[in-house]
Amino acid sequence: MNEPDDTTLMEQCIKGNQQAFETLLVRYERPVYNAAYRMLHSRDDARDVTQTVFLKVYENRDHYDPKYRFFSWIYRIALNESVDVLKRSSRLEPLDTDTISQTQGPEQQASSEQLSEGVQTALMTIKSDYRSVVVLKHFLGCSYSEISEILEIPEKTVKSRLYTARQLLKEQLDQNGTH
Amino acid sequence: MAIDEKYIALINADLDGDIQPDDKAQLEAFLAESEAGQALQDELRSLCSALDAEGMLDPPRHLRHVVMNSLPEPTAKPQSSPVTESPGFWYSLFAVPALRYTATFAAGVIMAVAIVDSGQVQQRAFNDVTGLVGTMSDAGDIAPVASTIIHKAAVAGTITLRRADPILIIDFDLSTNGPIDIVATYDDKSVWFNGFAQLESTGTSISADGGQIRIQVDGKRRYAVYLHNEGSRKLSINLQFFSNGEPVHQAVLEYEQG
Repeated sequence: MNEPDDTTLMEQCIKGNQQAFETLLVRYERPVYNAAYRMLHSRDDARDVTQTVFLKVYENRDHYDPKYRFFSWIYRIALNESVDVLKRSSRLEPLDTDTISQTQGPEQQASSEQLSEGVQTALMTIKSDYRSVVVLKHFLGCSYSEISEILEIPEKTVKSRLYTARQLLKEQLDQNGTH
Repeated sequence: MAIDEKYIALINADLDGDIQPDDKAQLEAFLAESEAGQALQDELRSLCSALDAEGMLDPPRHLRHVVMNSLPEPTAKPQSSPVTESPGFWYSLFAVPALRYTATFAAGVIMAVAIVDSGQVQQRAFNDVTGLVGTMSDAGDIAPVASTIIHKAAVAGTITLRRADPILIIDFDLSTNGPIDIVATYDDKSVWFNGFAQLESTGTSISADGGQIRIQVDGKRRYAVYLHNEGSRKLSINLQFFSNGEPVHQAVLEYEQG
């Protein structure tokens, strides 16, 4: 049997069906958590952001506009929440690599065993506008048009940010000798 | 020699599979003449491959349960006033930034050692605890040997048993809706209570007697109970959860002899 699509689940959710919401939670928990982790480089912050995102989705379910795709809505909330966390912790501006390595706790050290620390460290050195595009394109697999819809910017701007972000990442990785 | 922005854009577009045939032909002609262009293409291709190959992390196992437990009752939400509704207890609780766990070792060092009332605690117990707190905030550091997930209205989260010989760590990551009493019992009286730690929170109390530990928690808590298990003996830990004296959950953590 085919799984109901996101819009159908949201319609049921608006009617108060929490099981429909749980299905969406199961479907999007992982990408939302990973998007937040890539933006913040902290599992604790990623967890908090993920909780907040889903609670906001539920609280504001009546405001969901079905003419937009659900993933656009939830990814936009996830990125906005992540940027808010960066603002609150004064981490909006990129960090230099020395600062990043000094602030890594056991959590980050553990994750670096599983993920390429060099890539994530380089990612944290670029501005959040650029990082968002990289996260959506390479970690969540979104197309230019989907990124455009999520970030509410023209496709041309998406491409421009993505190309610049790649150039900055390449330079950072070259500088660190990890590329 | 600097590469024209136009060709940088075409190289990127080509890597993303988003290039028109005319542009593709133009790019190929450029690359045939430009070693710098070829080098840039190789570097960007390598970068994109590295980014695309990055793995996905698994969210914490209990996250789903915590979110679902945080939702207001379906009937409590009038369909016509979604914005003015005040956030529920769980939402407020999890929205407080101060309740976040700090993942750094430094945070572990400044952890609060809770009210401990035990005849079994030895001075070295606290030394052991401070030596282990850095691992407490990270589930990946010490491999779990057993775990249980709780999904009840009164309490939700995970309890994981970890082994760092000769210490067994019961790692509680729980959210409660009101005070919850937890009673952990084990048969092997030679295993002794070796300490207790929690991160960024107070208000958890604990007492320990031979073969039994009682903990009271209220709210969102991450804490660890340390048991000294010399010889890494097989151990069965029974966990009972009470709300207002009424049992709400029961679980068993089994440690097989290592």
